[in-house]
Amino acid sequence: MDRYLSIFLTFARACLVRDMTFRANFVLECLTSMGWMSMNLAFYLLVFQFTPEIGKGTGWTREPFFAFVATGLIINSIVQALFMPSAEELTEMVRTGGLDGVLVQPLDAQFLLSMHRVDFSSFANGIVGVGLLGWALSRMDHAPPAAAWLLYPLLILCGVAILYSLVIMLAAATILLGRNQSLYDFWFYLTNFSRYPAEIYAGPWGGPLRALCTFVIPILLVVNVPARVIALPLEGQAWGLVWLVVTAAIVSLVVSRIVFQTALAKYRSASS
Amino acid sequence: MNAVIAVEGLAKEYRVFDKPEGLAASVKSLFHRPSRVVEALKGVSLTVGRGEFIALLGPNGAGKTTFLKLLSGIITPTRGTARVLGHVPWERADDFRRRFALVMGQKNQLWWDLPAAESFRLHREIYRIEPGRFERTRDELVELLGVKKLVLQPVRDLSLGERMKLELVAALLHEPEVLFLDEPTIGLDVVAQHALHRFLAHIQAERKMTIVLTTHYMKDVAALCHRAIVITDGAILYDGSLDQIVDRFTTHKIVTLDLDDTPDADDFARLGFPCEIRGPQVTLRIERQRIADVLPEILRGRQVRDVSVEDVPLEEIVAELFRSGAAGAARLPEEARA
Repeated sequence: MDRYLSIFLTFARACLVRDMTFRANFVLECLTSMGWMSMNLAFYLLVFQFTPEIGKGTGWTREPFFAFVATGLIINSIVQALFMPSAEELTEMVRTGGLDGVLVQPLDAQFLLSMHRVDFSSFANGIVGVGLLGWALSRMDHAPPAAAWLLYPLLILCGVAILYSLVIMLAAATILLGRNQSLYDFWFYLTNFSRYPAEIYAGPWGGPLRALCTFVIPILLVVNVPARVIALPLEGQAWGLVWLVVTAAIVSLVVSRIVFQTALAKYRSASS
Repeated sequence: MNAVIAVEGLAKEYRVFDKPEGLAASVKSLFHRPSRVVEALKGVSLTVGRGEFIALLGPNGAGKTTFLKLLSGIITPTRGTARVLGHVPWERADDFRRRFALVMGQKNQLWWDLPAAESFRLHREIYRIEPGRFERTRDELVELLGVKKLVLQPVRDLSLGERMKLELVAALLHEPEVLFLDEPTIGLDVVAQHALHRFLAHIQAERKMTIVLTTHYMKDVAALCHRAIVITDGAILYDGSLDQIVDRFTTHKIVTLDLDDTPDADDFARLGFPCEIRGPQVTLRIERQRIADVLPEILRGRQVRDVSVEDVPLEEIVAELFRSGAAGAARLPEEARA
């Protein structure tokens, strides 16, 4: 484990050196993603001018909702920084045969392929997310209990694990298909479901969609469970969700590992 | 022989899809795509001993690179068995992957935007090379290849030849026992090719490394390898020493005369051998067994400045082998190998 951590830190260091080589590009990337995030926040502020709560009786009033948004920012920034750059590069590696060089190295290929690029500019959103969370929690009527503070980092990790599994399975599709340029788009469409409280998925269409995105592709648990634990009262239903997200994270990691290994075994390599 | 590589009946088949021309055919192919099976490798068997430096020769699409990819565990075979350093390559055991290296002339494995020194550092971590040993090996390799000034320069700013030298340094840092080289001199100028030849010959002799080289350049082969394996259409056509290729597949030698003046073409045509005249230089193609008899006759009465008798160039022989395909198929006995 120490070796993998050490290799990851070496990757991260190399990426930082590279980012610093192209400083203007780095600053531009930070500004672009923060600009996009600011527009989203402004939109939510607009929405709360017209309604005090997202869904009647759900508890998602302005401050808890901003804690929800902050949690989403933190989780997404971790995934975008640590895993997405590598996954996006995988498409090109499969197409050009660059994956060959990875497979001959004495290291777990999934680790190498999913963590060899770190995009430090994506951490900018996460830092803003932490600030936003602090602001939202400080303005709420009740302070989160100690149990919520202890659970929150664990649940963030579970959310990251579910999204990581999704990224890895999409990357595995790249290996099987030889080309999957819509990987990032598809990931974006799927994760869109995780951006809003689960309560909005109600009614004849919303109910089945909520079940699908909770039990089949557990995307709805990613942000909802940690955000609920930190922003809303920790009651009976919340504990059930905690167990559900932990289970979903473990199952997702196992399934994605099997899918990725199967895809690697079927790798054809590009012509030289 | 202490076999480092042992391969038996290794075959690799691919299913490829045919894409018909035109819009209608493209729409149709959405529902049904005609496909066929391509046999990239057809049951290849061979053994390679420790410390051998062998060349894999063959035209484009012959199966050379597929063979290297199978031996390095990148792809899995359709049939057959292989053991490299006692391991089944496609099981991709870390113990195996720590003991060999693969360098591909057409693929860059160093970090593009960073100096090679950063890739070397990463390599040290991945292969768990002890720091003292790492520094010793790196300095020795960098010195041998004369690239000390280049290791701190971003890889994207290097020439192809410089980059290939640094690729080799990276590949050899963990002191592999087996080295697979896939067209390492492709695109390099003569000076860079020569530098790589000298380096590979030196490192192989010093470390007793087993090296398998695929190349299209006969100069690579002549300078480095004692044994050549010719693959065409996924099957081994020839496996033996380079000398044996010349002996077995050529019946002629090339006799070149440098004369004082441009000779009369008819004068040489009368000798009855295929000949080519370029100014005062005459090139004759003469059957090997007749050289001793006819050479005095050719030289008699002519003002000759210089004369040379050479084998047919290796390029020509191998090209003829590629063309002749199975017609020239001959597997030499084990004792004929170098």
